[in-house]
Amino acid sequence: MSKINATPTPINYITGDANLNALLSVFVLTALICALAFGDAMYSGANLQSMAFQIPEFGFVALGMMLAFLVGGIDLSITANACLSGIVAGFILTGSWLPGLDEGMRIAVAVVTALGLSTLMGLFNGLIIACFAVSSLIATLGTMTLYSGIGMALTGGRSVVGFPDSFTAGGIACLGEVPVIFIAFVIVMVLMAILLERTGGGRRLYLFGGNPVAALFSGINNFRMNVATFTAIGFLAGLSGLTIIMRVNSAKVGYGDAYVFQSLIVCVIAGIHPAGGRGKVIGIGITTLLMQMAASAFTILQLSPYTTKLIWGLMLVLVLGLTRDGRRLLNALRAPFIKNKTLTDKDSNPGEADNG
Amino acid sequence: MRIERSEGILLGIILIYAVAVALVNPAFLSIETVFDLVRTSSRDLILVMGLLLIMLSGGIDISFMAMALVSSYCATAAMMQLGLSSIGFLLIFAMLIGVVMGLFNALLISWLKLPPFIITLGTMNLFHGLMATLVGTRTFGGGMLPPSFNAFGSGNLIELESEYGIIGLSLSVIPVVLVIVLTWFIIYKTMLGRGIVAIGNSEEAALRLGFRPLLLRLFAYGYIGALAGLAGSIYICQVNAVYPDKMIGEELMVVAGAVIGGTSISGGKGRIFGALLGIIIIYLLKSTLIFLGLSASWNNLFVGIILVLSLSFTAWQEKRRNERHLLFKIESR
Repeated sequence: MSKINATPTPINYITGDANLNALLSVFVLTALICALAFGDAMYSGANLQSMAFQIPEFGFVALGMMLAFLVGGIDLSITANACLSGIVAGFILTGSWLPGLDEGMRIAVAVVTALGLSTLMGLFNGLIIACFAVSSLIATLGTMTLYSGIGMALTGGRSVVGFPDSFTAGGIACLGEVPVIFIAFVIVMVLMAILLERTGGGRRLYLFGGNPVAALFSGINNFRMNVATFTAIGFLAGLSGLTIIMRVNSAKVGYGDAYVFQSLIVCVIAGIHPAGGRGKVIGIGITTLLMQMAASAFTILQLSPYTTKLIWGLMLVLVLGLTRDGRRLLNALRAPFIKNKTLTDKDSNPGEADNG
Repeated sequence: MRIERSEGILLGIILIYAVAVALVNPAFLSIETVFDLVRTSSRDLILVMGLLLIMLSGGIDISFMAMALVSSYCATAAMMQLGLSSIGFLLIFAMLIGVVMGLFNALLISWLKLPPFIITLGTMNLFHGLMATLVGTRTFGGGMLPPSFNAFGSGNLIELESEYGIIGLSLSVIPVVLVIVLTWFIIYKTMLGRGIVAIGNSEEAALRLGFRPLLLRLFAYGYIGALAGLAGSIYICQVNAVYPDKMIGEELMVVAGAVIGGTSISGGKGRIFGALLGIIIIYLLKSTLIFLGLSASWNNLFVGIILVLSLSFTAWQEKRRNERHLLFKIESR
């Protein structure tokens, strides 16, 4: 337990956390297996670069879902929000809205509007959840339907195409060999890690997520916490939406729909506890890399989307099972080899009490 | 019959909407609209009964569409293999497969003690992936299916003459009514149902009263599994084809229907009438926007507005009640 007071160095930042330890070992193992099985097909410069292009749009969604998990909630509306802000940006970019702006202005206005709108949608989520005490699962189920409904009504289900080249150039731009959008994603991740783990506000967010009633009585403003969290999620959704339309060169309702469920899986694997108050940003980073590597491997193996589904589902159940009973299983395996019975499974069951 | 305030509001919305649509387009006011509504919504009316029981127990299940698809697909594939053609076999096979999947869900939830939403999300992918990998992804078209499927799917209980030809009330209304009556009986007239409501309100209290949460959960999740098998079978009979990827993705709409109808996500509260109204209002919007001259792409917008308004209203009422009693309910979850 002395680890809590140790000064955080980069090494014990990771090794001091059992979950991150496990995650990192799985990551190294997967990387080694991929190296043995696929070799250059996986680790060629071209494949690494294409992975770096694909990570950000999903990574932003996963970061948003992590915030929701930290306060013990879920946000189903992230990708609907991303799509709608992408569509609105698309309308401005193609000049169907606000015609008469020159190209540079159009891009600037589109980016600002998309981010502003997505933040507003996040704020709306937060206000519903905080004002009416709706459970976030249900509230965001409603706003998810609403946001995608607005997107559908605006586009009629068609895609918005024909963006200026200087805008889509952002989606393929590289700094050296590293995609710019990937660098942006890493910067956002580092900023979020600092905000969450090194500031008073972040500490309060963890406390609020861990036990909202106790937080209320220790003077933390629950209302503001909820609203701020979901507003931040909205902003991240806007970043994801912009990244998507920049890369795909079109905007449409339903882009990235699968990301909601995938990001739930990523959060669980990353050790962000669904009951709130536990988990680190670096976990999301590692898990997103892991998922992308796995997805890359599935592509190389030419697995059908159904098999991929099976593997994700299996992985979720296995990870949940292992985090719950992993240490107990390990102890049971080791027990015959150890003479003195000092092994306990006292703290192997995190989150015993919450169900539903 | 007692009608709750939230249900009264829903009835009001339906009435106002119906009057508005009828003013724009008088063709809406016909028995045909009602018959059509019953036919298209029958799958979800059955599913929402199972979901209601789950939500009463304080849980949630989003794998039911996957269960409906997997059970009906596997049952059809097995019947084709064995050369059976009776509709009875389809129902029995599908419901058995559904029950097995439902029990698996319940065991997993009791073991892992994590939010059922996340667990059933995992099993949703798991079931669908297993089906596609082990059974196959072939589409069974109308010509390949036994004729009894289509006979049931397009058969009519009551037939009426109208100027457009014969219109009829679909046979699938029979299983819907049976399921509603059965669910009502389970919830209100058996110790099983009372126990499920009890664990939804307070698992600790129910445990001390002598209820056994594991058994009650096994029953509730098994029940929705069986209903999923039934609903999936009815759906494939109506469509007269079996696709390996239909139905999945529509589960959240059914959850939305239950929530609009006043079913509480935190358990212990919810009524059959409200849940049915919730589904009906969604299907009403879905199928009648054309009468207003709006394309189907406006559907989600309207459902979203109603959903956000109704859930805010219900939750706000509960919040005020809690504040009066100095209860500090946990927000955001």
